[in-house]
This record gives sequence, structure tokens and C-alpha cells, in this order.
Amino acid sequence: MRAFLVACLAVVVIGAGGYFFLASMQEPSGVAYATNGARITTNWSWRSVGSRAGECDARKSWQWVFVDFGKPEGESAICSISQ
Amino acid sequence: MVMVCARIRLFVAAIALLVLAAAAPVAAQQPNSVDPNAEAVKEQQLLQQFRRIQGLGTIPDTKSYLIEQPQGRQWQHYHEVLLPWIGTLAMLGMIALLVIFFLIRGMVRIKSGRSGINIVRFNAFERFVHWMTATCFVLLALTGLNITFGKVALLPVIGPSAFSAWSLAAKYVHDYLSFPFTLGVILIFLMWIAGNVPNPVDVEWLKSGGGIIGSSEPPAYRFNAGQKIVYWIVVLGGAAVAITGYLLMFPFYGTTIAGMQLAQMIHGTVAVLFVAVMIAHAYIGTIGMQGAFEAMGEGTVDLNWAKEHHSLWLEEERARTDSKQMQGRPSATPAE
Repeated sequence: MRAFLVACLAVVVIGAGGYFFLASMQEPSGVAYATNGARITTNWSWRSVGSRAGECDARKSWQWVFVDFGKPEGESAICSISQ
Repeated sequence: MVMVCARIRLFVAAIALLVLAAAAPVAAQQPNSVDPNAEAVKEQQLLQQFRRIQGLGTIPDTKSYLIEQPQGRQWQHYHEVLLPWIGTLAMLGMIALLVIFFLIRGMVRIKSGRSGINIVRFNAFERFVHWMTATCFVLLALTGLNITFGKVALLPVIGPSAFSAWSLAAKYVHDYLSFPFTLGVILIFLMWIAGNVPNPVDVEWLKSGGGIIGSSEPPAYRFNAGQKIVYWIVVLGGAAVAITGYLLMFPFYGTTIAGMQLAQMIHGTVAVLFVAVMIAHAYIGTIGMQGAFEAMGEGTVDLNWAKEHHSLWLEEERARTDSKQMQGRPSATPAE
């Protein structure tokens, strides 16, 4: 029984080590297999641009032109609710 | 006169241009005309003729230019049709066989009864490695089978939201627990390789059905032929699922799409067969044989169990113990 419990603990510890190892090695497929221009950030939405203009920072013209999906620093999370 | 001729030529040329301009749209509307561009965009026709749809792109990942290919359909057929059938037949078939076997043979009991004397079968480290590997295996099997059977078996029961959350967690568990599982397989390989080299005793053991089929109790060293088969299935099967699993975990590191499809096919097939074998292993280690679970549960077995199932190993242990006692060292083997 003790061997089993120690084994379970080892599984958790080594599994957690696996998490940190993979986190340092891998990146999301959307980042790994796309260029900056092709990425769509899920934090961005048209709602944050239009209907919540009072609460959220309005996007600059160049952001509209170049379809910039970045999120202004310090912007409320509610501005980034996906459509 | 010259002026008149020039005007007539100009008039004829203008008429000719008008006729050509009027005729061109009519020609384009002819049903038998060929428009190569219109044909080229019919993906279904391309797929039928070339068995693949491939184009050009502007992003650096050139692999994304290939949209459809024959191997992809073969892989999908394997993943969606063949693998579920292989898995179902292997696992349910094994369970059915074990149920029938149990109904006919029942639990294999210690014929001479318990002696009350226990001897050490597996030390603490061996049991730790066994349970670490076994725990990982069960969790890897459940999370892996979810990929193959979850859509059919679990999704209708728990609904899409819960199934999505569970599948995401299961995917992470499957990835992270591969590391302790691989470590366990490596340790099992190193720890028990000496006792799992086939020898002539194994042939006799197999000929007599291992004592499970029939009434004779064939001699065996520490591991009998059945246990050796399980050992090599664990080592080779574990290596196969680990290697193919890591290839899938690190896509395009030394593999192509075709290589990863092959890796997934090997991974899935070996895994479901592995699960079927481990069901049998768990059966014989618990309800299938009296006294067997104690070996991994507490690390000891009854002396009579050892006599009946591993008589040659018992002789070796006794000789080793006697040798130690003769040298004046206390024996660690008996564990009453």
C-alpha cells in the first residue's frame, strides 16, 4: 500500500515536471504554424471596437486599416469578449 | 477618289469590329466552350483526378498548402472505422474470454492451502515501479480511449460542454503522464531483464498450459513463461507507444504528415492491444489466482504459492538464504 501511495505521488510529481518541460518546449499551433499577420487573437472582437466604445479604447484608424488585432494595454477584459 | 476609298475602308473596318464585338459574348455562351479557369476551381473534380488538392500560399508553413491527400483519407478511415473495431474486438473479446475462463476454471487456488509462512517476492522499489507504471497506464488508457471512443460512448451521455472540458483535461493528462510511464517502462526493462530471458523451462511451462489449464504445476523460475510474455509486451509495447506518442507530441520534428499518420496508427493499434493484454494481466493478478495480488500488494507470497507456481525460484531463494545464514548474515527473505 505504501509503495502504491508513493508511486501515485511520483506520478504527480513527474507529471508536473512533464508539464513544465512541455511548456518550455512547445507553443500553441496557432503561433507555431502562422505568421504574425495571419494570427487572430481571440481577445479581439468587433464588439470591443463598436458597441462598447464608451468603455473601451477606440481602435486607431491604422488599426482598422491594417486589421490590427492587438489589445491596448490596461483595457478592460469586457472589451475583449469574443463575438 | 482616294478619300472616298479611305472612308469606305474605314467604314468596312468599323462594321467588322462591330460584328466581332457582337459575336464574342455569343461565343462565350456556347455550351461546348472550354473555360480552363472555371474547371480548375472545381475541387471535387481535382480530387477525383489527382487524388489530392494542393495549391500555393503566402505563409511560411508550406505544409499548409496541401489541403487533401489520399493518405489523409486512409488515416481517417483507420481512425474513425478500423481502430474502433480493433479496439472493441480486442478489449471486449478479452473480457469475454476471461469471463468464460473464470466461469469454467474459477479462481486458481493454492492446492495445499496457505502455509502461514510468507517469503519476499518483490521488494519495495520493484513494487513502487510497478504501481507507478500501472497507475500511469490506467490513466493513459482511459484518456487515450476517450479519443477513439469518447465521441460515441461519452458525448451522448454527458453532453458537449462536459465532454469538451473532460477531453481537454484528458489530453493534458495523456501528455504529462507519458513521462512517468516511460520512466516506469525503462525501469521495468532494466529491473527484470535478467529474470525474463527465455529458457527451456519456459517451453515445458507452455506445453503444460502453465498449470492454469490442466492440473499439473510446471516448474518455473522467478518469472514463468506467461509472465515473460507480459514483460516483453510491456517493454516492447511500451517502447512503441512511447516513441510514437512523442513523435505526435512534437509534430514535424523529424516526421512529415505521412510519418505522423503512421505513428498514430501504430500508437492506436498497439495501445488498444496493450490494454487488452493488461486486462488479462490484471485478472490473473487479482481474482484469477489466489495469493497473486499479495506479491505486488505487500511484496510477499505464501510459501505454498511459491512452491506451486515458482518452484525453481523458491529453490534458488532457499539456496541463497542458506548461503547467507552459513556466512552468519541474517536473512531478509522469510517474512512471516
